Amino acid sequence: MSSPDLRAELCGISLANPLVNGSGTLDALAAGTLGLGAFVTKTVTLHPREGNPPVRIAETPAGMVNSIGLANPGLDAFCADHLPRLGDLGVPVVASVGGWSPSEYATAVARIGAHPAVAAIELNVSCPNVESGCISIGTDAGETRALVERCRAETDVPVLAKLSPSVSDVAAIATAAAEGGAHGLVLINTVRGIAIDRDRLEPLLGGGGGGLSGPAIKPVALHAIFHARAATGLPIIGMGGVASAQDCIEFLAAGATLVGIGTSLFADPGLPERALPELGGLMRRHGVEAIGDLTGIAHPQVSSSTRA
Amino acid sequence: MPPPTRSLEVAGVEAVGAYTLLRLRDAGADHGAPGQFFMLRAEPAPADAYLPRAVSAAWAGDGEIAFLLDVRGPGTRALAAARTVSVLGPLGHGFDLAPGPSILVGGGIGAAVLPWLRRQLAPLGEVRTVLGFRSDAQAVCAGLVDPGATVVLDPVLVTEPLARLLPAEATVYACGPDRMLEAVAALCAEHDVPCQLAMEAAMACGFGACYGCAVRIDGTWKRLCIEGPVVEAARVLA
Repeated sequence: MSSPDLRAELCGISLANPLVNGSGTLDALAAGTLGLGAFVTKTVTLHPREGNPPVRIAETPAGMVNSIGLANPGLDAFCADHLPRLGDLGVPVVASVGGWSPSEYATAVARIGAHPAVAAIELNVSCPNVESGCISIGTDAGETRALVERCRAETDVPVLAKLSPSVSDVAAIATAAAEGGAHGLVLINTVRGIAIDRDRLEPLLGGGGGGLSGPAIKPVALHAIFHARAATGLPIIGMGGVASAQDCIEFLAAGATLVGIGTSLFADPGLPERALPELGGLMRRHGVEAIGDLTGIAHPQVSSSTRA
Repeated sequence: MPPPTRSLEVAGVEAVGAYTLLRLRDAGADHGAPGQFFMLRAEPAPADAYLPRAVSAAWAGDGEIAFLLDVRGPGTRALAAARTVSVLGPLGHGFDLAPGPSILVGGGIGAAVLPWLRRQLAPLGEVRTVLGFRSDAQAVCAGLVDPGATVVLDPVLVTEPLARLLPAEATVYACGPDRMLEAVAALCAEHDVPCQLAMEAAMACGFGACYGCAVRIDGTWKRLCIEGPVVEAARVLA
């Protein structure tokens, strides 16, 4: 058997390997791309945001709760200072966009999507750490459909919808995004969580609640990916607790086309470069020659009955 | 790029009063400067402490790097029991060593960053040290910093002996709890004495990715891992 082919493709974008970062978990301009096949930016909003007051992160069993609050330089500075340099990273760039209204998203998508450095746009409709907008769109099927439809009309690059697991039926939201014309899905964003200060017995994080990430949420992520894939057939960047090559292969089997690493990059920035050869070894063991052949193999051939 | 993560063997673990000194074998590596920090995680990573801990070295040299830990939770407990430790660093900006006399100010486990700093400042001029602790057991570590240090215990604050040394033609280097740093910075500003603060914030990554370690610097929330952890006091008071 020839050596396994790690090259991946998402919505017509070619990647050297199927690993990417989760939005907001890597500053590639400061830290480089760590061997990832593509880079996803931190979510950009129309206006600059300082982010939430500290404390912003709390460690929890097998993970962490964060309340960063979409700290970002805003659309103007992002387009002027960041985008030109992102083109030099040497990997496809997915720009993540957030907002408080469909017109804010549309404005950002039109400007960012027109930049040659951008291969695709992620619509973040799932950030748990801002008071309105964003997740309040992504928890409503009708609003999600309308937002994706509007943003698609603003750009020629593929539009991906990043969804929250903190909804009653993630497959229904995924279906709405597909109906709106999403080229692909990104899931999951963090799971809504809260941490209580052990001494003061008050919410620990400056933003009150937060988003849970890390290995603790892996089964939640696999469930959401499995059912979003079954419901839509769309390509998915799957993420949520990925910490090893074995995790990557499980996410691909559940229906992911690419696999995102987030919290584990914080604890272990060497993970992608270590996991890639291991992933090749796992492909060999499973008799798979191309990474794309793994996507969705956990799904039964007749996929009618397994909605949980 | 962040420097590669290294796996270092534990050379020794010993109690220093209330604190724990963790020594790692580390021949020939770049240890950076006093005040820079390292992300430490026990190997294998404990499930209840997934994230590494940001710690500045107590000293480095002679094939070792040493960290003084306040063992309080699962992460530091696992470090104190580890046989190997994963180490990422040195990271961030350390102290800028100024020629002339120095005053070191430490509060609690903040004293941990001072022994190495004192060794490097000693050739540049007279070094005086004031340290504050909550208990005698904590104060045992004063001997690692400076056998001639002035030590005060709660409820006496470290600003009391510091105030007696000011004004002075000296640079003040401080590490301790936020409220101590605020008081030291204010006192130094009052006497127009340059002051550098080694600050602390919860960090997930240590290299600019997570935006978790936000600290008010230059009037806005900035990442302490990138701007610091050592910051000129005037930038924090602004």
